[in-house]
Amino acid sequence: MSDARIEGYARALFEVARAEGTLDEVEDELFRFARSYEASDELRNALTDEGIPPGKRQAIVEDLLDGKATPSTVQLISMVVGSGRTRDLPAIIDRMVQRAASAKDVELAEVRAAVALTPDQRDRLKAALANATGKDVELKVVIDPSVLGGLVATVGDTVIDGSVRTHLDQLKSRL
Amino acid sequence: MAPLPTLNLVPSAERIDQSHHWLFPEAYEIFFGGIASLLIFGLLWWKAGPLIKKGMAARTKRVQDELDAAATDRAEAEAEAEEIRRAKGDIGAERTRLFAEADAQAESLLTDGRARLDQEIADLHTKSEADVAAAMGRSGDELRAEIGRFAASAADSMVADGLDDDTQQALIESFIQRVGASA
Repeated sequence: MSDARIEGYARALFEVARAEGTLDEVEDELFRFARSYEASDELRNALTDEGIPPGKRQAIVEDLLDGKATPSTVQLISMVVGSGRTRDLPAIIDRMVQRAASAKDVELAEVRAAVALTPDQRDRLKAALANATGKDVELKVVIDPSVLGGLVATVGDTVIDGSVRTHLDQLKSRL
Repeated sequence: MAPLPTLNLVPSAERIDQSHHWLFPEAYEIFFGGIASLLIFGLLWWKAGPLIKKGMAARTKRVQDELDAAATDRAEAEAEAEEIRRAKGDIGAERTRLFAEADAQAESLLTDGRARLDQEIADLHTKSEADVAAAMGRSGDELRAEIGRFAASAADSMVADGLDDDTQQALIESFIQRVGASA
């Protein structure tokens, strides 16, 4: 899909969430759904299968997120799936999240961790990243078992890699 | 008067029967025979002599021509024989030259073949040595890679087993402290 179309969908999601007054919550839920979509082959195959009617794919999304996300988030994802743009869902959501961060005048910081962070760790990590980059950051934590241990933080073009996976890969290269 | 002696030119019948010698003819026979012979010889000399002389001259000329032709034929035959001898000599020389050339070519081919074979043997030696060295290198590389894979796999297992909750939290805290300190 073209950048203009992705940008259009992202703006639509952003405006709806902002109009509903649930921007932070919806943005966070959309971000986590996008990461789950990228990580799960089964979910990706189900939502992009042309043999399944769009209505049924929307029903899959609604069943999957029922009670786990706000109605706005479910409706927005369902809208994108129903319009046949499921393959571009991660790109649309990432653009929407960037737009939200820009609207709040903060930098998006994506953090990948093997285990969930406590609220205290999130706050301290957010402060540390803001201190390191000199910008206010909005933290998005993704649970990624492939990291094995430690964290990988991406702020704009800057990547701070403290993962066990990377250390192991370096060790393997030396071996 | 005494009767004149008669010249008996014509013999009488009785004289024929009475020859004075059993071998020699009578004188008159010799006389008339001589005259007749002279007449015949003179006639022959007068009439047949030029013809005979002409015939002899023609014969002499013919014989001379035949001798000349024979001499010419002989000269031609000798020239031809000389030509044949010369050609034979040329053939011999050509054969010798061809043999020499063939020998030279054979020697050259032999030399080239030996040189090529030597070069091919040297190349094969070099290639074999390179192949052996490459195979040894490959074996070493494969062994090192295999050891690396085993070591990496062992490291994965050891790290995965060693990453309990405390370690995970320690890693996260360490990361936060390091990022906070990097400002």
